[in-house]
Amino acid sequence: MNARFTTRRTYSRSYGMRNTFGDFVCMYCHNFVSAEPTLSGVHNRNHCPYCLSSRHLDLFDAGDRLSACKARMKPVTLTLKRSTRKYARPGDSELMLVHLCEDCGKVSINRIAADDDNEQVMNLVARSLDDDLLRLLIKSGIAPVDANEAQWVRRGLFGLN
Amino acid sequence: MNAFQAIEPDTGFVTKKLTNLYHIQAGEDSLVCTLSARLKRQSDGDPVAIGDIVRWNEARQLIEVLPRRNQLARRAAKPMPDSYAREQVIAANLDQVIPVFAAANPKPAWNLLDRYLVSAESAEIAALIVLTKFDLVERKPEAAEILSVAAEYRAIGYQVIVTSAETGLGLEQLHAALFNRLSVFVGKSGVGKSSLLNALEPGLGLKVQQTSKLTGKGRHTTTHFEMFPLETGGAIIDTPGIREFGLWGVETDNLALFFPEMRPLVGACKFGVGCSHDQEPGCAIRRAVSAGQISPYRYQSYLKLRDEQL
Repeated sequence: MNARFTTRRTYSRSYGMRNTFGDFVCMYCHNFVSAEPTLSGVHNRNHCPYCLSSRHLDLFDAGDRLSACKARMKPVTLTLKRSTRKYARPGDSELMLVHLCEDCGKVSINRIAADDDNEQVMNLVARSLDDDLLRLLIKSGIAPVDANEAQWVRRGLFGLN
Repeated sequence: MNAFQAIEPDTGFVTKKLTNLYHIQAGEDSLVCTLSARLKRQSDGDPVAIGDIVRWNEARQLIEVLPRRNQLARRAAKPMPDSYAREQVIAANLDQVIPVFAAANPKPAWNLLDRYLVSAESAEIAALIVLTKFDLVERKPEAAEILSVAAEYRAIGYQVIVTSAETGLGLEQLHAALFNRLSVFVGKSGVGKSSLLNALEPGLGLKVQQTSKLTGKGRHTTTHFEMFPLETGGAIIDTPGIREFGLWGVETDNLALFFPEMRPLVGACKFGVGCSHDQEPGCAIRRAVSAGQISPYRYQSYLKLRDEQL
């Protein structure tokens, strides 16, 4: 059977989607995660701050909760959002987590939250990527942060020059 | 009138329902009856639905409702927050259910459409989807989405007719689909059920109103259930607008069976028929959604209905 149902509804969006934006227990490290914005600094808490794992729940847009995959999305690397500031220093833009779905292989990027484990984030910089994954990221328009750019990540996380 | 023929002697069809008054058509005769105390005691709600075949006594009181071929029912709106849920039969002995949705004003609520379709599937009644007021979106970008959703439902196997009472679009096709069948129009207030009936049978002169400019919703113009015979054969039941449609008589475990596109995959999951198609690994339905073979919106409707039934 061919894929027939791949169109997005925007004009008359279905209200059938379930609300899954509250607190949750991480499926992988089993820690309780609060979705309180005052703790995380973000309004849509979508990954665990302890192990940085996420879940494949969105299909077309962030927060649409239309994906049926629901598998683990493991953090694979970091990337820097393209800065819109004209005179920004290299590495001054926002640090983003890159997640890869363990089941269907979808790649997505997520904002780092204030309460994310910094050590875990730094570990991602040191991690080497295999060629297939690197090709997939480049195809998706994502430039992963490499070891030479670790100072930028440190500066983003700890504010050190 | 074909729809009212082939019934037992001394019986008649309920063709109109008002508060405590039932209009009965028995062949060429029509009469108005009330409910007998005995029949009233048999049910918490209204024991007689439109489309029922009934018997009456000399005092013109309904004394018996003959066994129904099928019935379209919903969970009745609760009179008080803590009261028990009960069944409300919308219509009985139907050939097809016609969910009516407006292309605009009010905007279509596709989740509500899925509810109607699941109810019809569980009652084993054929369903025909009618989209009205297409003239309102014809030259707008919304038209593409309406047509794409219509194509989605056609791909599942439902007949979808896009209509406009204003321009006459789709009326011929609808006439053909209604031929020699007892159909019921269901849908939210203001979607144009009565306007469509007026367009199909110009002599009816049913009361219609514009939707509210303030809320964009219908004004509940039709307030009773009534069956209208069609000149070409068959009949249509016009119903008041239904804002909420809670499923009745649908078991959670069987819910996926009432989604025709999911039906062939039930039992093909890793956990067999015990799979709830939500979180379980190796679920065939979730795999089909991810592969684009089942609409993600229909799947979300399934999950929502399942949560409600639990």
